[in-house]
Amino acid sequence: MMKKLYRYLSPLLIAALVLGSLPVAAAPASSGSGLITTQEALNAERSQGDRERIHEILARDEVQEQLVAQGVDPTEVEARVAALSDAEAAQMADQLEQLPAGASVVGALFAVFVILLVTDILGLTNVYPFTR
Amino acid sequence: MTPCPSRHFTKTTFWNARLAGVLALALVMLIMAGCASTPQLAETTKRELPRQTLLEQTPFHGQRDYQCGPASLAMVLNASDVPVEVDTLIPQVFLPEREGSVQPEMLATVRRHGRIPFMIKGNLDALLTEIDAGHPTVVMQNLSLPAWPIWHYAVAIGFDLDEETLILHSGMEPERIESFKRFDATWARSDRWAFVALPPGTLPATTDAEAAMDAIVDFERVQGEQAALLAWEALIDRHPEHAMGHFALGNARYATGDRQGAIAAFEGAVAQDPDLAVAWLNLGLLQQEMGNVDQAREALQLAAAHPGAWQNPARQALDGLKSGD
Repeated sequence: MMKKLYRYLSPLLIAALVLGSLPVAAAPASSGSGLITTQEALNAERSQGDRERIHEILARDEVQEQLVAQGVDPTEVEARVAALSDAEAAQMADQLEQLPAGASVVGALFAVFVILLVTDILGLTNVYPFTR
Repeated sequence: MTPCPSRHFTKTTFWNARLAGVLALALVMLIMAGCASTPQLAETTKRELPRQTLLEQTPFHGQRDYQCGPASLAMVLNASDVPVEVDTLIPQVFLPEREGSVQPEMLATVRRHGRIPFMIKGNLDALLTEIDAGHPTVVMQNLSLPAWPIWHYAVAIGFDLDEETLILHSGMEPERIESFKRFDATWARSDRWAFVALPPGTLPATTDAEAAMDAIVDFERVQGEQAALLAWEALIDRHPEHAMGHFALGNARYATGDRQGAIAAFEGAVAQDPDLAVAWLNLGLLQQEMGNVDQAREALQLAAAHPGAWQNPARQALDGLKSGD
């Protein structure tokens, strides 16, 4: 039942996303004021393809969803994503799970605990009575 | 009677495997200890830097829970005269589920507060040079081993070349002293990631023109061209040979309504690089907008003469010029 629903829904979603992103991606040379912006000039100079542009535009939506899933306040999410550069947004979308998250020195105690636990089990140390 | 763990004696193959594991672990630990050596500074760095430096005016914010990211940001932003508090930064940069903050968002949050995050080169020479220039620097470290990472942000604020120590506001500890050796070992595990947060108009002491350009463009995307104007002026002061910098300055001046200044900057761009078609194009479009038909035609023709993305817009503008005559 749900599968059937998805089968109809996903092509529609794909079409909507592609159509929504096309005007932005396909018009690099026509800015509002008439002059070419620095960003547009750099994108062209580095021969960034349309495919990459579309990827980066879609990435921002993806990052928004990921941030909400990570427990970020939904009212903050939009401003946080807006402050990312295109490359950073793409990086977040592709590998948020693997990105190191600077946390704390408080965690050090836990890691030392783990290391000592391992060495205890290996018989190198004798810290925790319950490993014997 | 002492309960004697019988498995040690009954399963000899298991015991051998365990012994091998112990030896392997000991070996790995020895190798890792042996790898960490005191990083060497370049001779020029040693000559140019003072023996000791400490940025005493950098305020300290002790981290709570896992929030070394927001705390580090508050320290460098406060040092750069942005009076933001840790509590304001937490919802802007902290990821509750990860119990930490990721690098892209550290940089993004600096932009939100009107400062430009410049990544610096990953070596101790660059780090010490930035500190000496008065720029407290956020560094990312892995305090533990790669297998059990403890990622951590701290703010490097001073050094002592004689003692070979770095001084950091780190975690709960203001002005913590770490040896170059231990610091570099933990910093290397983040690929020596570090950045400074500077107001538009100030450039880092160490980055090259391209890296600075990228940082300012990303800032401009968030804060707008007017906010970036001083940064472009500074880039051109430092690197007068950088054609794209002149081009960017022209756009920023145009955004503030300074059309004469914009024309001068675009002319500066093509003077540095006569093949920068996009600068000819903007120069032509701007001259056209100001009613200088002859200058506009000359610039647009040069833009149209260069094959590439800007040929078509230049030709269209030329057509408009003809029909408008």
